[in-house]
Amino acid sequence: MEKTALVEQLKAQIIEALLLEDLTPGDIDPAAPLFVEGLGLDSIDALELILLLEKQYGIRVEDPKERRDALQSVNAMADYILSHEKSEG
Amino acid sequence: MHAYLTSTGLISPQRTFENDFSCGLETEGAPILPAIEPNYKGLINPVQLRRMSRILKLGLGAAQLCINNAGGQQPDAIIVGTGLACVNDLEIFLKSIIETGEQSLSSIPFINSLHNTVAAQVARTLKIQTYNNTHCHRGASFENALLDALMLLHEKEHQQVLVGGIDEFSTHYYNLLTPKVVTGEGAGFFLLSNAPAGKNSVKISAVRTFYAPEENFIARFLAEQHTPAHHLDAVLLGINGNPGDDAVYCRLMDSFFPPSCQLITYKHLCGEYHTSSAFGLALAAHSIAAGAFPAPAIFKPGKAAKPQKVLLYNHYQNCNHTLILIEKFAAES
Repeated sequence: MEKTALVEQLKAQIIEALLLEDLTPGDIDPAAPLFVEGLGLDSIDALELILLLEKQYGIRVEDPKERRDALQSVNAMADYILSHEKSEG
Repeated sequence: MHAYLTSTGLISPQRTFENDFSCGLETEGAPILPAIEPNYKGLINPVQLRRMSRILKLGLGAAQLCINNAGGQQPDAIIVGTGLACVNDLEIFLKSIIETGEQSLSSIPFINSLHNTVAAQVARTLKIQTYNNTHCHRGASFENALLDALMLLHEKEHQQVLVGGIDEFSTHYYNLLTPKVVTGEGAGFFLLSNAPAGKNSVKISAVRTFYAPEENFIARFLAEQHTPAHHLDAVLLGINGNPGDDAVYCRLMDSFFPPSCQLITYKHLCGEYHTSSAFGLALAAHSIAAGAFPAPAIFKPGKAAKPQKVLLYNHYQNCNHTLILIEKFAAES
């Protein structure tokens, strides 16, 4: 999948998984930080995003540092998924 | 043991969240009475709101209404009574355990599925880190929470206690039991204090729970409170439309409560649920303060111009019987 399409797909999945009912995918800046600033997510949301990666993309992120980097922003999540696909493929 | 009522906050199938206790909404013929909910955005932080299930919104909304009605006074303790608690979220959580084979479980339904979730969220929101408890005792859940609050106030360790009764409609539970009554739901919170809120306030004089009691338990309770039945201005009865349940009340109407006593019913206004007596208590308190019960609640008029001494009697399947004595308190000037 192209990164642009993946980013749009992730935005929709994040809204659904985190119950961000007041947001549309267009409201989410893919480069903005997901936590504290930007969407202002918290540690419970982090758990849900890890679950999203596992359920939707079959990726289990075990290493805490890798997890932190992968969840920096929507772009970072997309890059992580694509890099994972490459290494798997 | 007694307590004074500082404020109430009630979300119910009537427009009580606006402190409108006229109970004018038509409920006849409806098998289920859903709660009429306020716009929570004005009551609950939107960041918190997003993850909350319906029962949490009902509970936290009613608690916040109660605190707002008390002018922002903060409680020292939080106690909740609930029959089924967060049963809908528990079902979601258990279903996901089965579907995923106990793997990759979402944390939100788990957080929302616990019996103490409502009391804990209220405490978290109000930043109250003291006593916090939830009582689950079927039809006597709310009264047990009330008793707990009265004991805390009696011990004088706490000055103000926020106590609530809350239950939400559950489709699964409804389909399993197919109740013969109008099913309801609601969240009622009460800020209780060991000192009256003003010159005219409402006092909860006594609360008692009984399991399969002997015949004359109400007479004994009233005697202990030095309140003979003819001193009661009104009695709220938990008549719910099930002939088996209502026969218990009908016997008392014919033989125990004197003709001068006004008889009030409330479950046709809020429906039957484990903590519906919280609706009854809020209705009684507002009616004592207003000087009259709303017309839709009056089953049989009485003699007193203004109700001052009121008994709330409820039973659950003729096992859990509960009595709450409420009266107007006027300070001597």
